[in-house]
Amino acid sequence: MSVIIDYIPLILKGMLLTVELALLSLLIAMVLGIAGALAKLSKSPIARSVAGIYTTIIRGIPDLVLMTILFFGGQIIVNDIGDKLGWEYIDISPFMAGTVTLGFIFGAYFAETFRGGILAVSRGEIEAGIAFGMTPIQVFLRITLPAMVRHALPGFGNNWLVLTKTTALVSVIGLQDMLYNANIAGGSTRKPFTFLCAVAILYLVITGVSNFGLRWLDKRYSVGVRKA
Amino acid sequence: MKKPGALLLTIVISMILAAQVAAGDWKSIKIATEGAYPPWNFIDSSGNLAGFEIDLANDLCKRMNVDCEIVTTKWSGIINGLIKGQYDAIMAGMSITEARKKLVRFSRSYADTPVRFVVRKDNPAANFSSELERLTLDDISPAEQAAIDAIVKAFKGKVIGVQVATTHAKFADQFLGDHAEIRIYDFQHTIDLELYQWRLDALIGGVAYWIPMIKSEQGKDYKMVGPYMTGGPFGKGVGAAVRKKDKDLADMFSRAIEETIKDGTCKKLATKWFTFDASAQE
Repeated sequence: MSVIIDYIPLILKGMLLTVELALLSLLIAMVLGIAGALAKLSKSPIARSVAGIYTTIIRGIPDLVLMTILFFGGQIIVNDIGDKLGWEYIDISPFMAGTVTLGFIFGAYFAETFRGGILAVSRGEIEAGIAFGMTPIQVFLRITLPAMVRHALPGFGNNWLVLTKTTALVSVIGLQDMLYNANIAGGSTRKPFTFLCAVAILYLVITGVSNFGLRWLDKRYSVGVRKA
Repeated sequence: MKKPGALLLTIVISMILAAQVAAGDWKSIKIATEGAYPPWNFIDSSGNLAGFEIDLANDLCKRMNVDCEIVTTKWSGIINGLIKGQYDAIMAGMSITEARKKLVRFSRSYADTPVRFVVRKDNPAANFSSELERLTLDDISPAEQAAIDAIVKAFKGKVIGVQVATTHAKFADQFLGDHAEIRIYDFQHTIDLELYQWRLDALIGGVAYWIPMIKSEQGKDYKMVGPYMTGGPFGKGVGAAVRKKDKDLADMFSRAIEETIKDGTCKKLATKWFTFDASAQE
């Protein structure tokens, strides 16, 4: 037990990185998700097919494969562009690469979740908005978006939990997240099992707190809806 | 609570800073290590990096008159990070091999430790003994070939663990690949655990890692067998790696290491951490 106490600061530092990474990727994923969902529902065939290709490819390839390709491949592309423009070497920081990659991957899942949520908003409410003379943007911001949240929340919660756990993959690109630090502590003390148990509990803490928040959101956005 | 916007800004700034990798006069350098390979390099109970290579790196930096920062990174991407410019040197128990020389430039060696097989004491392979005490895999003589054949015979059909991208893995692939089942792992300590839990018959391990381990309470069930192997896939000692273009930095390291070997510092540190003299010879 005392061995864990000694390494707590190291593990907590990793936990902070894990949480930062998860929240920031969530932000990117939500922006991409909304854009993806709107593109999928739009009248433009080009937008529909671009979004279709995005969600099909991303959801069909393992996260680990994508992350490795995007991180190392992304660096090569940046280097090539840098060479052409005569820049000094630009390093993509692993944190940024991890965040963008996770956001990019989960954007595809959020796109599907939000699309489902938008489709569940009753047609009549949207038509009422149009009849009031609102512009399409006003309709989206004032009616579709608030009304879809309730429908999208369960899927959103799922995606968030999976995203949080997927952050454990970032150690492959050299990020010192909670799992990486646990491995370092396990290696240094030659007690890997102890530290794996410790991080398992900490992941559970993060997801447990999230569940609490999700339940609160669910209550808030279900105001006025009768429980079955 | 940090605002996401502030965080984004920090990322952009750190990216710009990281872009300005200084070249040339070496006032300060960044050295990467793994931090999970005691007693070479690890995180001690106060959360700081410690070990033979940490002490040696600090000593070398004083001699080279540069400011050093030591960072940890995952072993399996450590050369990639050096080439990409995330740091300027690697000191992570890395053996100087021909294959790695194609990617990086090495200083002279600062440690030289042979490699042996490690088994559980109650495994049948624990009875294996070799005709030769030392086995150098460079120019293989008939007697050495006989010793290799004996190893192949002893470990035929066994399950053997090695850490990814190590000289141990290279050796296993080259000499035992057709005869035994080789399993590759990310971390050394995972292999130790696997061996302990009977999922492996043997592992291939550096003597400098295992001698202190076996002396400790945790290592009491393990045993080293077979000849002390060097050369060939195991390379020529352990050295600091730098980018190929940084010949000046490699030379600075080599000169400083030479000094620590001549004045006994290297030997003193090696004995302190490994419990025996694993330092390189002049």
